Amino acid sequence: MYWVLQLGGWGTFLAGTFFLANIFNLEYPEAIIINRTIAITLTGLLVSHLLRETLKRARLMQKKLEQSIPWLLLSLALSSFIHGFLVLACFEAFDLYLSQEAIEKLNMGQLLLAVSLEMSTIMLLWLTIYCVYHYYTDSRQRQLDQLKLEGAIKQMELKTLKAHLNPHFIFNSLNSIRALVDLDPARARRAITELSNLLRGSLYTEQAQLVPLQKEIDMIRDYLALESIRFEDRMQVDWQIAADTLSLSVPPMMLQTLVENAIKHGIGTRPQGGRITISSKKLTEKNLLVLEIVNPGALSGAILQTGFGVSSTRSRLQLLYGAAARFEIVSEPEQTVKVTVSIPL
Amino acid sequence: MPIKTILIDDERLARVELRKLLGDFSEIEIIDEAVNADEALQKIEALQPELIFLDIQMPGKTGFDLLSELDRSPEVIFTTAYHEYAIKAFEFNALDYLTKPIDPRRLADAIQKLQGNDLRRTGSTPVLAPGILSEQDQVFVKDGERCWFVKLGEIRLFESVGNYARVFFGPNKPLILKSLNALEERLDTKVFFRTNRKHIVNLRMIEKVEPYFNGGLLLELKGGEKIEVSRRQTLRFKEMMSL
Repeated sequence: MYWVLQLGGWGTFLAGTFFLANIFNLEYPEAIIINRTIAITLTGLLVSHLLRETLKRARLMQKKLEQSIPWLLLSLALSSFIHGFLVLACFEAFDLYLSQEAIEKLNMGQLLLAVSLEMSTIMLLWLTIYCVYHYYTDSRQRQLDQLKLEGAIKQMELKTLKAHLNPHFIFNSLNSIRALVDLDPARARRAITELSNLLRGSLYTEQAQLVPLQKEIDMIRDYLALESIRFEDRMQVDWQIAADTLSLSVPPMMLQTLVENAIKHGIGTRPQGGRITISSKKLTEKNLLVLEIVNPGALSGAILQTGFGVSSTRSRLQLLYGAAARFEIVSEPEQTVKVTVSIPL
Repeated sequence: MPIKTILIDDERLARVELRKLLGDFSEIEIIDEAVNADEALQKIEALQPELIFLDIQMPGKTGFDLLSELDRSPEVIFTTAYHEYAIKAFEFNALDYLTKPIDPRRLADAIQKLQGNDLRRTGSTPVLAPGILSEQDQVFVKDGERCWFVKLGEIRLFESVGNYARVFFGPNKPLILKSLNALEERLDTKVFFRTNRKHIVNLRMIEKVEPYFNGGLLLELKGGEKIEVSRRQTLRFKEMMSL
């Protein structure tokens, strides 16, 4: 593409100059005009090509416009001067001076300055076309990248949603509720409310980037109430939520996903069940909100590497808080696992 | 005579619900319930049910683990909250399963299908010593993601592989965690014959018998497997076949 534009551009310059010279029927001998124009074109081609290589090597087009403008002006001045010098050298070598120039009897330095100024208009035109073309293609590439990024985010959201609407959990809950309809109609009614809240939560809160911890905890309470129908006395829950943390912001469904994992791996797989502890505290001096889940169980490599909860939590925290947030999952003595999330206030 | 049935599910409410649904079927007699695989194993061995309803996902051992430990599997209807495609085993076999919450119409279909099967096969089974498995008894075989219910009569050959035994039936030859000696004790000697240290063959699956060097025999089975009969066993084999 570069060579098409480069040769086409200089070709147009050459043709245009001949055309203009013809129209205005200049007083100078035609051969001199033609030779001068060819000299200007060929040296221009050379200089602009070298200029392009320099700009490319300096990665000037990748920089912001405000940053690159001084450098563009400098390169304009330099390339005009070099172009002027080369043109003058050609004039000298092939004696292409117009009579007028000879008459005015300018010394070499003055002549160089005059020719360079003349050439600077050509170089300015070249640079402008070069920059406009670059910014145009770059902005298209940026739009494309933006679209790709948005696509990736949507995919991630869909994956998160699917993981939250765990069909095994939903159908087991519905099955339990059907049994409760006869056994304990009041509990069945409550269970339907809890399941509705949970479904609504996972279907609609995805849009919000952050929600108050209170909202997240309400949802987890509904979730655990449903799980307790299933596990009955095999599951005990300890809440240790500090009151001053309830209004703090957390990413939606994050704690929920971690609690679900704790139930799935920690209690669901053990015939004797166990106790899950969920706590939150505010560390004012460190400017951190610390969330902790402790559950029975042992860590396996598979959970750490492929567990959706672990990887999605890590990447969400990274996106939202960068290095300021921390996520930790460790084995504790007596067959317990502790998950800690620290996020900036 | 009603079908003696055990319900196996870790969730109390799931068992309550299933018991209620089964109340409409007079042919099903629920003789017990179990809350996990270990309890179920004891109850199945002790009570010898003809049918079990089995939840696949249970804490500790899964329903498949339980079946693998049974010498003889009763008829099984799986119950699961997973979609059929979530359980790869179902892709290979038309195992009977019901998704929770259980649709009463699908339950009726499954029970009807069961009665069409040879579940009520009393009379056709020859009287065997206690603990001996008949040709009609089915075993559950699991090999990685795949699993099968196989009637012993369909098995051509057991081959010893360390502590495991390779089971040959149809085009499949999965491994089961049972020693050849343990198997030999439970198999009907009129049907299964120990040909050498490494093999037990199904006599009904023999295609060809050829003399072999050292006075032994070479059997060719219907699947094309060639099995040597040791010299020591050749005499017994000839005696059995002449009967």
